[in-house]
Amino acid sequence: MSVRATLGGIFASAAILGIGWQFGSAAAHTFATQASTPPSTTTGSTGTDSPTASAAPAPSSSPPVSASAGSASGTFIGAVESTRYGDVQVEITVANGKITDVTALHLTDRDGRSVQISNRAAPTLRSEVISSQSARVDSVSGATYTSDGYVSSVQSAIDRAGL
Amino acid sequence: MIVTGREPAHGNGAAWNVTDHERDHRRDYRRRLRRSDAMVAGLWASAAAALALFLAYGGAGQFGTVSDAVTSLGVIAGLVGTDFVLVMIVLAARIPLIDRTVGHDRAIAVHRSLGKPALFLLLAHAILLIVGYGMASGSNPIAEFGPMLAIPDLPLAFVGLGLLIVVVITSLVAVRRKFSYEGWHLVHLLSYVAVLVAVPHQLSVGGIFAGGSLERAYWLALYIVAFGAIATFRVAEPLVSSVRHRLRVGAVTQIAPGVVSIEMTGRRLRRLHYAGGQFFIWRFWTGRTWWHSHPISLSSVPSDRTARITVRNLGTGSNAISRVPVGTRVWFEGPYGIFTDAGRTAPKLAIAVAGIGITPVRAFLEDSDIRPGEATILLRASTPEETYLWDEVIELARHKGATVYTMVGRRSTGPRGWMPANDDRRGVTLSSIFPDLTESDLYICGPTAWLDLVEAEALADGIPPHQLHTERFDW
Repeated sequence: MSVRATLGGIFASAAILGIGWQFGSAAAHTFATQASTPPSTTTGSTGTDSPTASAAPAPSSSPPVSASAGSASGTFIGAVESTRYGDVQVEITVANGKITDVTALHLTDRDGRSVQISNRAAPTLRSEVISSQSARVDSVSGATYTSDGYVSSVQSAIDRAGL
Repeated sequence: MIVTGREPAHGNGAAWNVTDHERDHRRDYRRRLRRSDAMVAGLWASAAAALALFLAYGGAGQFGTVSDAVTSLGVIAGLVGTDFVLVMIVLAARIPLIDRTVGHDRAIAVHRSLGKPALFLLLAHAILLIVGYGMASGSNPIAEFGPMLAIPDLPLAFVGLGLLIVVVITSLVAVRRKFSYEGWHLVHLLSYVAVLVAVPHQLSVGGIFAGGSLERAYWLALYIVAFGAIATFRVAEPLVSSVRHRLRVGAVTQIAPGVVSIEMTGRRLRRLHYAGGQFFIWRFWTGRTWWHSHPISLSSVPSDRTARITVRNLGTGSNAISRVPVGTRVWFEGPYGIFTDAGRTAPKLAIAVAGIGITPVRAFLEDSDIRPGEATILLRASTPEETYLWDEVIELARHKGATVYTMVGRRSTGPRGWMPANDDRRGVTLSSIFPDLTESDLYICGPTAWLDLVEAEALADGIPPHQLHTERFDW
């Protein structure tokens, strides 16, 4: 292999890697801002006290149910949290001011690996939220994006329930 | 030892110091060198591009934890390994530009040298990702295997990896010898299946090739280039050429024990743009021979209607084709190779051939426009019966003013095993036959063991490697 081929290979490779690196940092920046997207328009409201079936697992569905302030009951849908691996949105079920269930309406699903990770993390996050009765739970290791989106969505649902 | 032709023109070398002829050789060589350097640089750049795809996805930030780092390394190994496999397919596609630049045999040598690295990278890809995923979920690698198979498209990817292992193992020299060429080739075709079944998981499991992304377009373009090249140059082009030129066996003549010349007739053969010394891959359509294909050089420059090959019974396959009936339809791929005038780089020409290796040299000599005194030819045979085509080569040499040396006899057990014992005892060396060796292009053709010895002595005598041109009888 001649010197020219070696040098040509090195410089061409370096240029291509530089471009890739540049795109990579730009992408990381974009995702960092996306993660802080404000919650969607769905809001909880006070009113009837019959907790009916939970909403269809679509991000834009509005909650059919609500509860009175203080000892809230019903289901409350959290905000849609965008991550680089897809959107996360949860719904909490509240009975007499206590979180009794957390249902994932949408989990990170941009690719097969993300689906695997979020399916593994969701049960852990659910039981921790129920046991701590708050969104202050630890991230599941290896599922940072899913965990962050999950607890943010839980927090917004808690806010709406007025707990 | 006999010498024919004119005396070598050592005296008036000054007048020929730099002729147009030599300038052409140098210019063509520099052009080929530029192209081959660009190809080598392109090979490395394509591997870098695979790594850049990972960086562009923000991969540089995914080394924070041990499991992330292991997973990221696994992804990189997969990207680069797949790039190597696609490059291998391109190298095996016999693309005319690559063949004209480095020759088919060098392209295949690079193809072979990439085989094991590609397999190791793809094995590392699988192992690192099993370990990395396992660490992330807190399970051991064996327990992680089940959840991984549940990911869509991954079972297919494992099938692909399994096939690739089979392909590479059957191509290891020691294993390959146990197969017939056809058996090995059939297994080798599985590599296309292996590469294709791995595509879905690349697009769906990781996020790098998300739908609609530039990265996905680039990656799929690589596949289209690689498989397009195979479809064009290994399938469509040979089929069209075979149908267009309508070659059939015209006559089979025995010229020595176990050696036949096969004359073929066809039409518009000049359109093949054949250069003396090139080979074709032949397929004779009889019941016993149609599944064999044979790389064989033409033994003379074809006319517009006839072409000739000369074949020695080297294996069961060539034994069968020496008995094909007149009228047999012949399909071919080619012409291939730069064992031709196009490979010239130096002012002088040295040719060493043994046995049936004379065939490409016979056509090369006929086609090349050498000046008187430019070329020296060494013909080697074990017995007087094996001196086929010598009369034709000596006649051509006389006509073109080339010097011919001949060596007949059993091989020496002395230091120079490539020559007969009596020549070795008399102190003949490669440099005494070719006094201008370092200023010459040395074309060697013959059995591999013999060729290796001549090549080693030429290199020891100081010939620059780019002035060596070899044609080996193996696959």
